[in-house]
Amino acid sequence: MNKHSMLSEIWRRFRKNRQAVAGLIVLVLFVVVAVFAEQLAPFGYDDQDASRAMIAPCLEFPFGTDNLGRDVLSRLLYGSRYSLSIGFLAVGISVLTGGFLGVIAAYYPKLDNIIMRCMDLFMAIPQMLLAMCIVTALGSSLFNLMLAVGLSSTPKFARVVRASVLATREQEFVEAARAIGAGNWRIILHHILPNSISALIVQATLAMAGAIISASALSFLGFGIQAPMPEWGAMLSAGRKYIRTQAYLTVIPGLAIMVVVYALNVVGDGLRDCLDPRLKK
Amino acid sequence: MAESILEVRNLEIRYVTDEETVCAVNDISFSLEKGESIGLVGETGAGKTTTALGIMGLVPDPPGEIVGGSVLFEGQNLLRMPEKNLREIRGGKISMIFQDPMTSLNPVMTVGEQIAEVVLLHSKMSKGEARKKAMEMLEQVGIPGGRCDDYPHQFSGGMKQRVMIAIALACSPELLIADEPTTALDVTIQAQVLELMRNLKQEYGTSLILITHDLGVVAKICDKVAVVYAGEIIEYGTLKDIYTDKRHPYTIGLFDSLPDIENESAELKVIQGMVPDPSCLPEGCKFHPRCPYAEEGCKHGRMEPVSVSETHMVRCGRFRGGEV
Repeated sequence: MNKHSMLSEIWRRFRKNRQAVAGLIVLVLFVVVAVFAEQLAPFGYDDQDASRAMIAPCLEFPFGTDNLGRDVLSRLLYGSRYSLSIGFLAVGISVLTGGFLGVIAAYYPKLDNIIMRCMDLFMAIPQMLLAMCIVTALGSSLFNLMLAVGLSSTPKFARVVRASVLATREQEFVEAARAIGAGNWRIILHHILPNSISALIVQATLAMAGAIISASALSFLGFGIQAPMPEWGAMLSAGRKYIRTQAYLTVIPGLAIMVVVYALNVVGDGLRDCLDPRLKK
Repeated sequence: MAESILEVRNLEIRYVTDEETVCAVNDISFSLEKGESIGLVGETGAGKTTTALGIMGLVPDPPGEIVGGSVLFEGQNLLRMPEKNLREIRGGKISMIFQDPMTSLNPVMTVGEQIAEVVLLHSKMSKGEARKKAMEMLEQVGIPGGRCDDYPHQFSGGMKQRVMIAIALACSPELLIADEPTTALDVTIQAQVLELMRNLKQEYGTSLILITHDLGVVAKICDKVAVVYAGEIIEYGTLKDIYTDKRHPYTIGLFDSLPDIENESAELKVIQGMVPDPSCLPEGCKFHPRCPYAEEGCKHGRMEPVSVSETHMVRCGRFRGGEV
């Protein structure tokens, strides 16, 4: 009942998981970097200078420069804005749409077949192709990119949520809730969802990694993030041409993606553990 | 005559699947007065729980189907009531205690929240008042109110069942349906829970339907007994009628199969045979394949109830034609 004490209780449990706390710190750092990119970056993200192209990491350019002489560190810092927001928002979109459809499908057996067969239809189309179609239809912009990435992974979320809701819905406490006069939405929101949320959290953190990568792939193909804008995936693809001679151009954005994705995963794991009171020690 | 609070008439419930039709409840009728308690006794699969779910309007549909009959609660037929009004009655005027306290509480909500939930659903209390009420209810069932913020897994089985009772009684219902409330508990806890239910029942004047297969439990808190066999009430009467003047061979068999502590016989008596498969019930009296007194007449036609006395009814061919 007391919201404050409940949050502090969750935080207390979360804190015990060192790995998750480390992950959270990393994530917060990245968010701070994204917010203050302008102040932190030594150069602009599109400051070109042919005279200093392809400089390997040194004191002046800690992460080196690319083929156009742009500072990789600055581009990385600015790029965190796009990559993080794509990760969060795209997954937010798929959690909402997929979660909603999954719950409805599992809770109302009459709609189950209609919804899930539609989801199957979407799954039959390769995710990248689907995302490309969506971006093409809506026009290429950052938001449409997120929408495309988010909507194209909706079916996966719908399946995961449906499966865990199906299992929860047969539990006796759901019947007990019905016996005290709770309505359908109350049962879904208070009794079923909190008991099936852990699968969704894990899926969401994993998908965030996937979303960042899909968005980069789309950027590479020319959908979404356009050329001078720094996005980690786009940087990765651009550096691919020089992977034999200037490996740092691919390794550095790749590492950035990896670190964020790993941090997201451990935080998701820790979150799932501390949200479940049954696992309390 | 006292005011009748619940009247179940000719209730018939079936579970229909592609393979078979299970006749879980066939023609069950009984009535309950205010403050009175009735025990539904019978073997597993006799249709006791389905009857209870039928009264609550909670028979899972599909595959469940209420084929006929009526459930009059305070004069209104619950079977014809729109879902919205039913929801107000559930938990408010009629509440139910489930068989297994281990799984009937939501594991991710504190017990306080779960008691407060039913209060919030059925009254206009604020959240703070509901929380206070939840603590009061916990105290009533003998759990310190301070444990209101604990989660169900932090309680023992007996305490969980107390929490269930607290939830069921939080809105002072007119009718409480307890579906084998003590089956999942050990004997000492059983006694405590029964005592608690009896006291609270007296305090609130709640009517009670107690579903059980334990004749001792029935003797402890019920006024009336209905013996259910294969979805039918085969004998119905006051506690005294059934315990001292039982007529139906099945009832007699049921009592005979209780172990007797004084008479140390080597073997327990059992009723021969098995409960019939409810998807293909025998014709005529549903008990005739197992009945030691079965006659040719028992095998055909419908077995109609026969009155033994004003309060005592039995459904057996031996008492047909009035000679009781």
